[in-house]
Amino acid sequence: MSELTNTVLRSDELSCPSCIGKVESKLNSMDGVASAEVKFASGRIIVEHDASKVTVRDLVDAVAEMGYAAKPSAV
Amino acid sequence: MTQPATHKGRIWKTWGVVTVSGSLIVLSWITKNDWLMIAAAVVAGYQIAIAAVRALQVRIVSIDLLVTVAAIGALFIENYWESAAVTFLFVLGKTLEKATLNKTRKALSDLVDAAPETATVLRDGEPVSVEVWELAPGDIVLVRNGEQIPVDGRVVSGHGGVDEATITGESLPAEKVEGSETFAGTWLRSGVLQVEAVAIGPNTTLAKIIHRVEEAQDDKAKTQTFLEKFSKWYTPGVIGGSLLVGFIARDIELGLTLLVIGCPGALVISIPVSIVAGIGRAAKDGVLIKGGEYLERAAKVDAVVVDKTGTLTKGRPELTDVIVLDPAYTTDEVLRFAARAETASEHPLAAAIIQGAKERGLEVEIVEKALPVAGKGIHATVDGREVVVGSADLLDDAPDDSALIELNEHGKTAMYVGVDGKAIGIVAVADTIRDDAPAAIQALHKAGVRVVMATGDAKRVAEHIALELGVDEVHAELLPEDKLALVRQLQSEGHTVAMMGDGVNDTPALAQSDIGVAMGAAGSPAAIETADIALMADNLPRLAYALGLAQRTVRTMRINIAIALVTVAALLAGVLFGGVTMSLGMLVHEGSVFLVIGIAMLLLRPTLKEREGLSVLSPGASG
Repeated sequence: MSELTNTVLRSDELSCPSCIGKVESKLNSMDGVASAEVKFASGRIIVEHDASKVTVRDLVDAVAEMGYAAKPSAV
Repeated sequence: MTQPATHKGRIWKTWGVVTVSGSLIVLSWITKNDWLMIAAAVVAGYQIAIAAVRALQVRIVSIDLLVTVAAIGALFIENYWESAAVTFLFVLGKTLEKATLNKTRKALSDLVDAAPETATVLRDGEPVSVEVWELAPGDIVLVRNGEQIPVDGRVVSGHGGVDEATITGESLPAEKVEGSETFAGTWLRSGVLQVEAVAIGPNTTLAKIIHRVEEAQDDKAKTQTFLEKFSKWYTPGVIGGSLLVGFIARDIELGLTLLVIGCPGALVISIPVSIVAGIGRAAKDGVLIKGGEYLERAAKVDAVVVDKTGTLTKGRPELTDVIVLDPAYTTDEVLRFAARAETASEHPLAAAIIQGAKERGLEVEIVEKALPVAGKGIHATVDGREVVVGSADLLDDAPDDSALIELNEHGKTAMYVGVDGKAIGIVAVADTIRDDAPAAIQALHKAGVRVVMATGDAKRVAEHIALELGVDEVHAELLPEDKLALVRQLQSEGHTVAMMGDGVNDTPALAQSDIGVAMGAAGSPAAIETADIALMADNLPRLAYALGLAQRTVRTMRINIAIALVTVAALLAGVLFGGVTMSLGMLVHEGSVFLVIGIAMLLLRPTLKEREGLSVLSPGASG
């Protein structure tokens, strides 16, 4: 079991709470993602993942596939 | 922040669809061509359908699916206009929602953007430009006039004025000299500073504030948790219900219309947008509120228990009075004798007397010979004369004690100043009230909040200060458990109690109170983490502002829920009794979403007015 990384993405396109389920389900269905949580109010997507299987870029792409632009957070 | 190219692409993707689809609808009206109307529906509906399919792939029944089904259904019953109108309005609504909803998150994104990215570090005395993450605690960074301070740290040399609005909400520059604390993300407005880094990046106060605000915004108010559970079953319920009604009534159009108006919109966002806007606005003014639930509680606060020392008062003694008893001496001479004698003392009151003398422009040279007299005062030789500062026991004759007694009755500590065994005057020191305390109490009273002072200090001292400030109730000589009992008693009388204190002895009472408030939290990371409301600046009037903002936020939340519920009820009635079509339903529906976001955005208006360091409530913020 390799180590899990915590990545926080920010999106300013989450416009309805129904986006939460979509993005969470999509990320959770990916191999290498241990958990994904979408915080609607602050626009954060918090992902715990195995960086050797799923890169931050993969996460951003997956969120984009569901129709939302997101980028990794600096803080 | 966003790369211009993709930003442009995004704008085109959203607004392009709206424009093309809208133009096709207008063209179709003019030419009476149904094919143009179908094209409009396809252009607008294409992306909605893709989103619906993607959601279905991860087993989610989304609003997009509701709209797609309704639009395709309308095409089948040859109601092309309805199909185009519904998809067009939905796309337009979503586009506008994204833009406006982001405005409510703006307070937070402003804080995130305030995080510094680069720094100038001194390596072997040479300035080197680096990324913030390359820094380590102990590095000395150089900050020039107009630059941003990149780290939390301590000034090691230089001086300047720093705008700390990012952290404290106060834009009046704070004076920084050697030894002063600085915060990452604040701006040097004048001078040059060399700062030793203490905390960097994620460990800075700014980062803690950002996390706190995020957690707070995501923290769900009780009502919100209920609504979210409700909406999980709502969408499938609407599909099932609409199909059923359409089937029973043998009216496909009725079923489709129900489908459209059933989309959960305003209801689910009514609470989050209000909370995000309210907490965001508060954070910009240096007030951190722990979350939605705390907002709801803070809005109900009608009694505030305030610790005296350090909260209502400055927390350190200051020279208040100098009285001449022997007309042969001037006030300055009395004070100068006292101050010089006290230079040999280590008593905390000595510092107040010396400081007071210096503030009046007196030279206070250090005396060589002095002898403290335990419990009585000090005995010193000043310019060859025997000087005493302290109680009457140090003097040869008992002087007239009326002036001394009067000062003591006002809660001051008064001492005789004697020269060669004879009293020449009296000096008095006291913990004085904070300059902003009267305005703060007034603002709380105006908001209908009862102000209770609780202190471990002597009754006489406490009562004098209470009178000066006009607090409603004063409890003195309290032990920590007495403060706890006081909070409990107020609660049992039906009050919602906020407690403001800083000392360790306040901890039990803070825990018991409904809302624990910390003041001057910028310098205390623990306070940022634990307080229900943290006032970043050492600014007492901001408590009333925070409570007022909480009330307005809760009111906004209620208005928004009401709007959402009334909209759904009205639309439902409209459909069942006839008159509301699919497109009209969508229009009203999207309109209500906007209204809700718009009302929440009103919270973002700045209502905090600063005047010479004192803040007062604007008329709009009261009541």
